[in-house]
Amino acid sequence: MPIEKMIPLMLEGVRDTLYMTTVSTLFAYLLGMPLAILLVLTAPKGLRPQAVVYRVLDAVVNIFRSIPFLILMILVIPLTRLIAGKAYGSTATIVPLVIAAAPYVARMIESSLLEVDPGVIEAAQSMGASVPEIIFKVIIPEAKTSLIVGATISSGTILGYSAMSGAIGGGGLGQIAISYGYNRYQTDVLFVTVILLIVLMQVIQIIGMYISRKTDKRIRE
Amino acid sequence: MPLIELRHLTKTFKGKTQTVEALRDINLCIDQGDIYGIIGMSGAGKSTLVRCINYLERPTSGNVIIDGKDLSTLTPKALRQLRQQVSMIFQHFNLLQQRDVRGNIAFAMEIAGAKRADIDKRIDELLELVGLTERQHNYPSQLSGGQQQRVAIARALATNPKIILCDEATSALDPTTTTSILNLLREINQKLGITIVIITHEMSVVESICTHVAIIDNGSLAEHGTVESVFSQPKSKAAKKLIFRKTGADGGIIGDRMIRIVFEGNASSEPVIASLVLECHVSVNIMYADTRDVGGKAFGQMILQLPEDKLQQEKIIYYLQSKGLRVEEVDGDAH
Ligand SMILES: Nc1ncnc2c1ncn2[C@@H]1O[C@H](COP(=O)(O)OP(=O)(O)OP(=O)(O)O)[C@@H](O)[C@H]1O
Ligand SMILES: [Mg+2]
Repeated sequence: MPIEKMIPLMLEGVRDTLYMTTVSTLFAYLLGMPLAILLVLTAPKGLRPQAVVYRVLDAVVNIFRSIPFLILMILVIPLTRLIAGKAYGSTATIVPLVIAAAPYVARMIESSLLEVDPGVIEAAQSMGASVPEIIFKVIIPEAKTSLIVGATISSGTILGYSAMSGAIGGGGLGQIAISYGYNRYQTDVLFVTVILLIVLMQVIQIIGMYISRKTDKRIRE
Repeated sequence: MPLIELRHLTKTFKGKTQTVEALRDINLCIDQGDIYGIIGMSGAGKSTLVRCINYLERPTSGNVIIDGKDLSTLTPKALRQLRQQVSMIFQHFNLLQQRDVRGNIAFAMEIAGAKRADIDKRIDELLELVGLTERQHNYPSQLSGGQQQRVAIARALATNPKIILCDEATSALDPTTTTSILNLLREINQKLGITIVIITHEMSVVESICTHVAIIDNGSLAEHGTVESVFSQPKSKAAKKLIFRKTGADGGIIGDRMIRIVFEGNASSEPVIASLVLECHVSVNIMYADTRDVGGKAFGQMILQLPEDKLQQEKIIYYLQSKGLRVEEVDGDAH
């Protein structure tokens, strides 16, 4: 493919991929965060143990996590149509991306929240802190670094899913790779998309790690 | 009226495979202004007891009455408010790692609903009191253990509590730092009249600052009273064990057999023991010694715990008798 056609195509691909990744990550966190907090609260050793609620949430998360992404994407096509009006393209792909990523994100957040020193939580309780105060003033701020690392990993995973979605009608770099590289044997296009995906992944990783290090007060300066 | 009253307190932990009776029928009164030591061996139930005092752990039965209020009758909200009057400090400090010194002290006041301006003013006072003004913008990871415990104490004081509960507050600190933290606690007790409950497994902590002591043994209250009365005349087996233990036995070498040697004006006691150890190549544990040197002669008695090995025991007894000392058997319960 000539370079003057390649550049705009790739720019569009990068834009769509970033769009899908950021919006999906955002929504996945909007769903995953409350889910994770509920999991942590209702767990047997949580602040408000609720065996039934916990077991149901835990099972739902596991079920969604065990469905391979491409299959999930096909399974939720009716829902995607309902929400996005169509089943293909970048915006439509956000629906299955969020559904696949939310349980994953919930597990990521859950494990970050569980890392918080129980002693610190106990200290807060001994001061008379309420459950919401413990969550928002103790657990989440104390888990900050780990949450940022988790977000970095999660958005990387979502980037990967978004590329995969290209196989069945998603937009972005993944779609370009499939339709030019795979269907029309344009190896140069395939090669460039792969490079761009690697670069995007690196950028996310570097930014995420930089922020987590900068904000971590446990590191002695 | 006592400030803290524990009535028939029991706590049973029910696990899948076993139940642990961590506390059995504890009755205890702690008065305003006391520094009350609670001492016992590991696993005796000390932490459980102190966590019951602020209901971090709900007792299985019995009552905790603080300042006339029975905690079991309080609503969750009233209980949280009461906890602002009953602060707690911990062995591992439990500071917020992502907040600096000021932020950690502020936290307790934010929970109590204090205003920003009041918080800043109070933090300045508290930093002065615990001597950490220079470190106010440091994070816990930048502070030593002793400094972190000072922050924890400042945080505990922030809400003007009536009571401070300390669970092994000095156990993670070296002896010098321990002394300085204990001095700070004593100062707080004397200046501010705050009642302090100190959980510890170290006799020295009780000796150095407590007015009263309770001895917990296997979930039960073995003995309690003023430090002088309990230490000078321990009645229970558990108390005697703790008070006479001092340095502790030498691993598996020392056995259960104990003897009492009586000095009635013999040559000084110390050389006798020292030469016993040197000449017989044995180790003994001095469980208790109450001897006086009067003009180079020893009067009084000493209780020794002998090695497990029978032969060595005989050797020791023979040696002591050969030095003209009276040797008596002591049974484990009654020394
Ligand atoms: N949450 C719990 N579940 C089950 N058993 C428990 C629990 N907490 C404490 N126990 C048991 O209760 C007993 C008393 O424990 P506790 O922590 O009060 O002892 P302690 O005197 O503080 O010991 P240490 O000096 O080692 O801190 C122990 O046998 C312990 O295993
Ligand atoms: Mg303990």
